[in-house]
Amino acid sequence: MQTDWSVVLTFLPQLLAGAKVTLQITLFGLVGGTLLGVLAGLMRAYGGPILNAIAFAYVELIRGTPIVVQVMFLYFALPVLAGVRVDPMSAAILAIVVNAGAYIAEIVRGAFLSISRGLTEAGLAIGLPHWKVLLYIVGPLAFRRLIPPLGNQFIVSLKDTSLFIVIGVGELTRTGQEIMAANFRAVEIWTAVAVFYLLMTGSLTLLLRMVEKRMRIL
Amino acid sequence: MSIIEFRQTSKHFGDLKVLDQVDLSIDAGQVVVLIGPSGSGKSTLLRCINGLEQITGGDLVVDGISVREGRRRLQQIRQEAGMVFQQFNLFPQMTALENVAFGPRKVRGTPAAEARAQALALLEKVGLKDRASHYPSELSGGQQQRVAIARALAIRPKVMLFDEPTSALDPELKQEVLSVMRQLAQEGMTMVVVTHEMAFARQVGTRLIFMENGKISVDGDPREMIGNPPSGRLRDFLQHVE
Repeated sequence: MQTDWSVVLTFLPQLLAGAKVTLQITLFGLVGGTLLGVLAGLMRAYGGPILNAIAFAYVELIRGTPIVVQVMFLYFALPVLAGVRVDPMSAAILAIVVNAGAYIAEIVRGAFLSISRGLTEAGLAIGLPHWKVLLYIVGPLAFRRLIPPLGNQFIVSLKDTSLFIVIGVGELTRTGQEIMAANFRAVEIWTAVAVFYLLMTGSLTLLLRMVEKRMRIL
Repeated sequence: MSIIEFRQTSKHFGDLKVLDQVDLSIDAGQVVVLIGPSGSGKSTLLRCINGLEQITGGDLVVDGISVREGRRRLQQIRQEAGMVFQQFNLFPQMTALENVAFGPRKVRGTPAAEARAQALALLEKVGLKDRASHYPSELSGGQQQRVAIARALAIRPKVMLFDEPTSALDPELKQEVLSVMRQLAQEGMTMVVVTHEMAFARQVGTRLIFMENGKISVDGDPREMIGNPPSGRLRDFLQHVE
């Protein structure tokens, strides 16, 4: 069969626009997801029985259901239940926030609990309140151990945005699908889409490498 | 005047009774050495003093504050009772100097320059001024433990608690830590020391307490107790240690 790579150039503006939407969903979703994940993770690790149970239920609910079902629920079911209109972009971002948040919660919990109990005791023994021990001693140490698994989750979440094709948000995969439907250039277009994803995940990997290098793991 | 007072103090871990209605009064200036077989409750007794373990019965008063008065008051007790751990527990992301200056900065709100100067003076006191900018991973065990002593002293405590401070050290490194402790005792610091170093108990201790099954079984003068053990159990124990 004949390939014609010039179609990639022809549709480059559309592909770039799709990649931009993918990046936007990922960026906003991960900022929110990280905040939510840190909160839920700390609730799991240090909250009393009630906070712990709430965070546990959240993590299990999200980890136990597919992300496609989650975004379908947010986009189609939530409006029916709550009577609010949700646009595809908001549903997509919210899905990443909620989904990544659950996984990040477990990462955060694990990282904090992996720091030796003796260091917490040493901090308490000089008269610091527990929250200051977490902020000044355990937190900075846990953060270093957080980076590799967190980077992994960031890459997973970036690629998960491709599943939002199901709610019609104009991200990269959806864009590829639309171009394909018009000209049937499957090889060229899906190759281009794959390369775009690789460029984005590759940049993310590089960025995390740099952060990791600057922080010694202790 | 007593600075630490156990009143019928008990500590349970679930069904296990680790401290069994202990009565003990420690005066300012005393150097109390706690010994006993493992599981006898000596470490727990020490850790109850600064509230790292919560007592489950009776009362325990440190410098006029009961450990049962709540979290805020417990933090005050901890500022009056510095602790040195078996595993040193230095903060690995901080240099020796930062480890020592950290407490005064974050607990007492001492200005940075002052905390630094004070920390340097303390490092000099434990003989490690030239290691101030080293990280714990770059120090030997004995050096780490001396930094840990300086860190505990930095908050200007009235009492120092030592939980097997030399047990994790090679024999040749024990001495440098013991000599710092000896110097502290000579300066009049009130000390409670869990240790198996009987030479230290004999030379520096003003009081020796032998614990068994969560109770104080013998309490007296170290030289007399070691020279002429008043109980068979203590005699057996001393033979195993020395």
